[in-house]
Amino acid sequence: MTTIDTISPATLDRAATHRGARPRRLTAGRVGLYAFLALSAAFFLLPLYIMIVTSLKTMDEVRLANIFAWPADPGFQAWVAAWSTACTGLDCSGIQVGFLNSVKILVPSVIASIALGSVTGYALSLWRVRGANVLFVVLLLGAFIPYQVFIYPLVRIFSTLGIYGSLPGIVLVHVIFGLPVMTLLFRNFYAGLPPELFKAARIDGGGFWRIFAHVMLPMSTPMLVVAVILQVTGIWNDFILGLVFAGRENLPMTVQLNNIVNAAQGEKLHNVNMAATILTALVPLVVYLLSGRWFVRGIAAGSVKG
Amino acid sequence: MATRIRRSAVPVVALSPTILIVLFAYVGTMGWTVWMSFTGSRLLPVNTFVGTEQYQRLFGDPRWLVSVQNMALFGVLFIGFCLVLGFLLAVAIDQRVRGEDGLRTIFLYPHAMSFIVTGLVWQWMMNPTLGIQEAVQSMGWASFRFDWVVRRDMALYAVVIAGVWQSAGLVMALMLAGLRGVDEELWKAARVDGIPTWRVYVSIVLPLLKPMIITSVVLLSIAVVKVYDLVVALTNGGPGTSTAVPAKYVMDYLFERQNIGLAAAASTVLLVTVLCVLAPWIYAEYFRKERGGA
Amino acid sequence: MSCAILSGAVLSGASAQEPLRAEVMHWWTSGGEAAGVRVFADAYEKAGGTWVDAAIGGGQNARAAAINRIVGGNPPTSSQFNTGRQFDDLVGQGLLVDLDAVAAEQKWRDVIPAPIVQAASREGKFYAVPVNIHGHNWMFYNTETFQKAGISEAPKTFDAFFADMDKLKAAGVTPIAWGGQPWQEALVFDAVLLGQGGKDLFYKVYRDKDEAAIKSEAFQRVAATFHRMRDYIDAGAPGRNWNDATSMVITGQAGIQIMGDWAKGDFIAAGKTPGKEAGCALVPGEAGYLMGGDVFVFPKIGGGAATEAQTLLAKTLLDPATQIAFNEKKGSIPVRTDVDVSSMDACARRGAELVKDPANQIPSVNFHVSADTVGALQDTITSYFNDPSATAEDFAADFASVMTAAR
Repeated sequence: MTTIDTISPATLDRAATHRGARPRRLTAGRVGLYAFLALSAAFFLLPLYIMIVTSLKTMDEVRLANIFAWPADPGFQAWVAAWSTACTGLDCSGIQVGFLNSVKILVPSVIASIALGSVTGYALSLWRVRGANVLFVVLLLGAFIPYQVFIYPLVRIFSTLGIYGSLPGIVLVHVIFGLPVMTLLFRNFYAGLPPELFKAARIDGGGFWRIFAHVMLPMSTPMLVVAVILQVTGIWNDFILGLVFAGRENLPMTVQLNNIVNAAQGEKLHNVNMAATILTALVPLVVYLLSGRWFVRGIAAGSVKG
Repeated sequence: MATRIRRSAVPVVALSPTILIVLFAYVGTMGWTVWMSFTGSRLLPVNTFVGTEQYQRLFGDPRWLVSVQNMALFGVLFIGFCLVLGFLLAVAIDQRVRGEDGLRTIFLYPHAMSFIVTGLVWQWMMNPTLGIQEAVQSMGWASFRFDWVVRRDMALYAVVIAGVWQSAGLVMALMLAGLRGVDEELWKAARVDGIPTWRVYVSIVLPLLKPMIITSVVLLSIAVVKVYDLVVALTNGGPGTSTAVPAKYVMDYLFERQNIGLAAAASTVLLVTVLCVLAPWIYAEYFRKERGGA
Repeated sequence: MSCAILSGAVLSGASAQEPLRAEVMHWWTSGGEAAGVRVFADAYEKAGGTWVDAAIGGGQNARAAAINRIVGGNPPTSSQFNTGRQFDDLVGQGLLVDLDAVAAEQKWRDVIPAPIVQAASREGKFYAVPVNIHGHNWMFYNTETFQKAGISEAPKTFDAFFADMDKLKAAGVTPIAWGGQPWQEALVFDAVLLGQGGKDLFYKVYRDKDEAAIKSEAFQRVAATFHRMRDYIDAGAPGRNWNDATSMVITGQAGIQIMGDWAKGDFIAAGKTPGKEAGCALVPGEAGYLMGGDVFVFPKIGGGAATEAQTLLAKTLLDPATQIAFNEKKGSIPVRTDVDVSSMDACARRGAELVKDPANQIPSVNFHVSADTVGALQDTITSYFNDPSATAEDFAADFASVMTAAR
């Protein structure tokens, strides 16, 4: 029904191809193919390599301006500095503050946005509600509209509610802006289930919440996994919402990273900056590497979010 | 019958948080922003109506015009390169190559990272005195230049490179899924007819991938309209105003420059642009088919 | 009813016992700046308060964050702005505390230069505590680098300036340490406008918003001089922070930096004495002291201990001994003309001497126009500077349209 759900998880998971066995002989074409893949891999890996080697160097070595070189004496001093002593202003406690803040923001945001999104998706797909279509279209539009359109009025509303610049405030913002994708994800999933399932549950006398808890939720594990992956990476990588709504005490890691890099005193410590950058990227990278194909599924199912 | 059974108050109650969010956080804020764009609000919102004054100022501001141009150029190049590179990578991976899983992981990992991270890494690599340029020059290639972030005429392309690096893998993943869905029989038939593989890809497979292409374009377009973090981390809009983008214009006038009316006018222009692009798509996807009973 | 009064009394009694907690937002994050803010923090703690430091790197970010919090109803105890009109609307909307009682008690009007008093007041009442005067039209150089390039003293005319830049280039150093961010480029432009254009042109452009003056030949000459500096900067300039540029001069990679006197703090932090290893001179023309500075505003915060904390902080910031100690670290000069500056460095003494004469007190652009006009001017100046083929005439026309729109 939608463009986005045309890519079914089954297609994505199909590992085997239909192109027959791998050719045994190396033709000129195969050589060219591997050359292209190798070059591309180099392009994609280069920034990661440079981040890592720079972070392992001392500043003396960074100054030699040999960005590709492997460090003569690799060490984790820059990592330690980035984690615990890098400064923004008088506060020199490193990027660990941002890490903890990001975790504090992440956990409730992920749980709340998935809870709300799954219930909304369930209600919109299986229950008849007056105006459901309008609601859904507005939500969908919300996923596409730049945050700038909403930010200022939200600042005012939040300040009236007394939650501006607080942890509940930033969590609510993530729930608000995560809602379209989460709803889309679960709506499409529940709409794709066999309708007999729902009808049988109704005939057994199940109510709204009972069917949700006992029939739908147990079947939703794949979607829940996808939703968690999407929200964890999305919320962790957010910059602009954290910048505006989190408040000084809760600045997430991405904002802290940008502050550390730009608030250098005296000489810029590129090795520390790169270590801080890797540390900031680490959580979504680990999620990505552990989740494998699920990550792709998440992208296909709902990365309508920018 | 069934529809009558399904009508109940409980779903409406369950939907009430969503309804509140849609009413206040989406519709209400949008309306407020549009209204503010017609007022003389500066540091704080006020209700003095000034007509289209903010819009006149907006479209008389060279930086806004540059921002819009940059967004268009960035959009075309970013989407174009992502599609081409993503498609080529997907086709290459689809040729029964060794280490497929590893390659897929490598091409897609940048997409897991924050645009801030991407911006900072590429800024470091393109640093003219300590980055790639200096390293390559000291290896003996003295005329080598890779200082795009500091060159007014090239800085936008630096943003494109970083963006493509981050997002090409996304297209690759989507296209690959599409390729794996192509019917086996089609390949057999093509082989029997002796059609060269590249022609099959161009004239038969590519049209079949239309849904993937549309999804990719939609996803990438959203990234284009929202582009902010990447520019902040990579060039901060410079040199001069050469990498200015609309989202940053709004943020600057909203907070630092204390002119909410003007910022709201710029946001409204963005909003209208997005709605114009989306309206036909949403209509086609969500209404026409439902009415047609599909 | 009596219960409410009782609990209120208990609450205020309890809060009076606790140290007065002041959360202060500022953007002082570089070496000298951070040392300066430490002076304030120590002085405040000595006076019996608790200083909660809320530094946010970069003036733009810090001001945006402060405005968000003030507007959002969760204001800090105090927040930094530049001296001028940046906080106009905060006063207009009634969000700031009127400091006139403290000002009268401490006789601020008698000891602070008139343009600064004016910039800190609205309709005759103090709404901000100015803490320093920054000179915006300084040139800092490394005397050792100058000697190596065969330059004996700082240039006094722009002809001499460019001749010296050529010498530096010939000696193999980057002549001008350029910070390629819009606000820094605008700062250099203003310094050239005052130096080469003179006081009258400066006032006509910024105070009177005089279109004819902006399109005049004199203004275009200033623009051309500014643009000519492109020939003397290095490729890494775009986006560079001012303190990174200062460090280029300190380490001898570059010859000279045109910057506000806050740069001096970083020279001191690097062990270079101003007036000796770190040379300082006003931008050629020496048409006056282009004054900027910092103020602290006090958002309305709801009375009680919070207000007491604000009053104590306001007094601490202007305490004469704190003023000297702070400004020594920060690189600026005391905002009070009645303090003894003889313990300060040579450059600061020179600045303080100049400021004693009202004729030399030239208020910077921030005193004249609102924040969004300052921003639009920065856009205009940075696009002009970064475009090699831009003409002074087009620039003047763009500049004029921004200024006339601001009338």
